[in-house]
Amino acid sequence: MRAKVIGFLLAAAVAASAAFLLLRDRGKISPMARITRDGVVLEEIALDQVEEPRRFTLEDGRGRNTIEVERGRIRVAEADCPDQVCVRRGWSGDGTTPIVCLPHKLMIEIVGEEGGLDGGAG
Amino acid sequence: MAGPVKGAGRVTRLALLTAVALTIFLVEAQIPALTAIPGVKLGLANIVTVYVMFAMGPGDALLVLSGRVFLGAMFSGQMMTLIYSSAGGLLSWCVLCLLRKLLTQEQIWLASPAAAVFHNLGQLLAAAAVMRTWAVMAYLPYLVIAAVLAGLFTGIAAQALLRRLSRIQK
Repeated sequence: MRAKVIGFLLAAAVAASAAFLLLRDRGKISPMARITRDGVVLEEIALDQVEEPRRFTLEDGRGRNTIEVERGRIRVAEADCPDQVCVRRGWSGDGTTPIVCLPHKLMIEIVGEEGGLDGGAG
Repeated sequence: MAGPVKGAGRVTRLALLTAVALTIFLVEAQIPALTAIPGVKLGLANIVTVYVMFAMGPGDALLVLSGRVFLGAMFSGQMMTLIYSSAGGLLSWCVLCLLRKLLTQEQIWLASPAAAVFHNLGQLLAAAAVMRTWAVMAYLPYLVIAAVLAGLFTGIAAQALLRRLSRIQK
């Protein structure tokens, strides 16, 4: 009986998650990439106004991340962390999920022009 | 289930189980990340956590879990991840304590996916606190699905382990 309830709750959690992923609103008309470390904004880039692709490196005591920007999209090209999750995440151009580098506490979010805190939450 | 083991026997058993969990953890850490979603992994070392929780009790499970989490972070050279894994570990330990009271011996496999969901939730809450933003919660749906799948796998393994090892224990 209790097991059935727990099983049902787990199934419901999976179903709700899947539904959220399938039904959420994706995309921003004028994407703005905001790079933060420890919650402090390091840089804000209007992705639709990028003329030339460019690369830059963000470095502090914890490590190094090389960011690459092109028109409409941004990615972490290189990082010296062991897990490489942020690099494998690849290009991001919409607000669905942020790029995060947990070891370096670095995050790249795509926010709307107004810069709402939880853009993309649908 | 086996009666309480005391003294040197208990210390030896806890040390052995911590070593087993740590070995599994470090071997799994050598496998490249399965997905580009931070925090998604099989979590095979939790087979040991679930086993200790149900065969030996919450206190012993907390000892083995915290020993493995701390040494695992140290040996894999990722001390920064200690915040995330201890938050997740603590929350899933609480859930396992609760489920220990609710589930029968044959239903232990269900405890693992539930604990895994709360592990990932704890991890994300820690990440949100560290980065001072709720934006990381966008990963929650992915992590819930991954946790249930991985948790079912480790849960079934833990259930099999409990069945086999109950013959060894007196």
